[in-house]
Amino acid sequence: MTAAVGLPSTFDGSRHRFRVTLEQGFALAKRSVLSTWRSPAAWVPGLVLPLMIAAVYSAQFAMATQLPQFPPVDSFLQYMLPASVLQSIAFGAGNAGTDLATDIENGFFDRLMASPVARQSVLVGRIMGAAVFSGFESLVLVLVFLAFGAPVKGGVGGVIAIIFIAGLLAIAVGGFGVAVALRTGSPEATQSMFPLTFVFLFMSSAFFPTELMNGWYQQVAQSNFIIDPTRRLVIYGWSWTDLLQAVAVTLAVAAVSLSWSYRMYLRRLEVK
Amino acid sequence: MTTHPISAHGLERSFGTLVAVDGIDLEVEEGEIFGFLGPNGAGKSTTVRMLVTLLKPTGGTASVAGYDVVEQPNMVRRSIGVALQDAAIDPLMTGNELLKLQAILHGLGSREATRRSGELLERVGLTKAGNRRVGTYSGGMRRRLDLALALIHNPSVLFLDEPTTGLDPTSRLSMWEEVRALNKEGTTVFLTTQYLEEADQLAGRIAIIDGGRIVRQGDPAVLKDEVGDPTLRIEIGDSIMLDTAKAVLTTFGEWRPARDGRLAIGLEGGAKRMADVVRSLDAQGVPVAHIELDTPSLDDVFSDATGRRLEGAMVDDEES
Repeated sequence: MTAAVGLPSTFDGSRHRFRVTLEQGFALAKRSVLSTWRSPAAWVPGLVLPLMIAAVYSAQFAMATQLPQFPPVDSFLQYMLPASVLQSIAFGAGNAGTDLATDIENGFFDRLMASPVARQSVLVGRIMGAAVFSGFESLVLVLVFLAFGAPVKGGVGGVIAIIFIAGLLAIAVGGFGVAVALRTGSPEATQSMFPLTFVFLFMSSAFFPTELMNGWYQQVAQSNFIIDPTRRLVIYGWSWTDLLQAVAVTLAVAAVSLSWSYRMYLRRLEVK
Repeated sequence: MTTHPISAHGLERSFGTLVAVDGIDLEVEEGEIFGFLGPNGAGKSTTVRMLVTLLKPTGGTASVAGYDVVEQPNMVRRSIGVALQDAAIDPLMTGNELLKLQAILHGLGSREATRRSGELLERVGLTKAGNRRVGTYSGGMRRRLDLALALIHNPSVLFLDEPTTGLDPTSRLSMWEEVRALNKEGTTVFLTTQYLEEADQLAGRIAIIDGGRIVRQGDPAVLKDEVGDPTLRIEIGDSIMLDTAKAVLTTFGEWRPARDGRLAIGLEGGAKRMADVVRSLDAQGVPVAHIELDTPSLDDVFSDATGRRLEGAMVDDEES
């Protein structure tokens, strides 16, 4: 018969399991934020490119705001604000997946799995890290837009709401990336799915009002339930209905992506 | 009640039709350094991955630190330190940050994590580099940090998977010293290596794995003795005494092919009889100009078990 040799002297069984799980999730989220911050190539394009596109579009379409069916905005830049935030998330949220795939490829994921870390902390930490970073990027973008004269009519509450929606959307989009990373273990495969988010973005009202579109494209572009309510917070003012609509739809997408990523996570652990 | 920090019985792992580990039995004693030797692809890493709960066995049983690797994986993880083959360390983090993260993953509180991190950085000689990003570390520094990470929770059992592969000789010697020191403090070490010298230097017992099966297991000296008697080569200082020398040597073992004008016998009883040979030759007035004893190596042990050379196999594997 074999007897237990005993736990390490540093193991403190008295610490509450839930508290330990929270600390682990927080530590892994912090690592995710620090790694992204220290790798500017991973996040600078997510700030610079949306700003460049916003600058170019607002110059190109400055007079378009005077068209009869254009929503009542101060400037085209104001109309672009939510689209630029979402574009930034399309860039940044993919990092959660590619970073996890890199961890799997180089063995860091194994290091985590060989430790007694709460299994859910690994996923939560990675996705929360991406959400926090996306929230930070969104705040920077909103401040730049404000500085260039694109006000958020919803006031401070509107700004907070936009950042909150951005964070949630980063979780939703990041969940898909994490699922692909867990399924393939390949950073390249994970990265290759993110152009898809741009397809969805361009086939929406992100860059132009649906009122000025026609045909099938208008039908497709009208089927977005996140950009329009977020934009209404920017150009009309505070509205609980708009906030709840954007949050509810984003949560629904997040529920799908996180369920998929959790399934892939269990599958990866089971295969092992 | 016996306590084996690591034991495996009929442990097996298949990937589809490929049997990577084919029913191995292991029993590692408390406080020993156990060397696990074999060429690339022999099943070393697969075995380690099962023992550290990263891979589920497809057959047999194994326990580590007294806990079943399948039924109680979390208790196993709490009890072991693991440094896997490729030191997977985030290059964007500092050594200090990684140690604190590892401490928290093992359930240590923030204050304890800070204390242990400082202690371990000092132990592995990385105090000055602790706040530098790991991407700036040399290979040897990364391995030392990897070892420190594995020690963060004072594990009773330490798994080191090829800890010195790719290191320069100085870094390798320093890693050996650290492993010996840890072992002296009571840590049981399971060491996989493809370096015969490393196993010879460090391990109290070894197992040689080939094709997923353990082909030899035991004390390296005993395993080498089992291969056959060592070869004693003697150069006589005065050729007139050659016949006398031959007459003396005949009593100590069988003749073996000689080279460079030296006499060679298989010395029965091994190294401990060398002094008797010298005394007998001296008693007969035979001057000895040169004497050497070629003991069987672990490569000879591997060759005896498999008909192939371990070092040659490794070179072939690395080149392919």
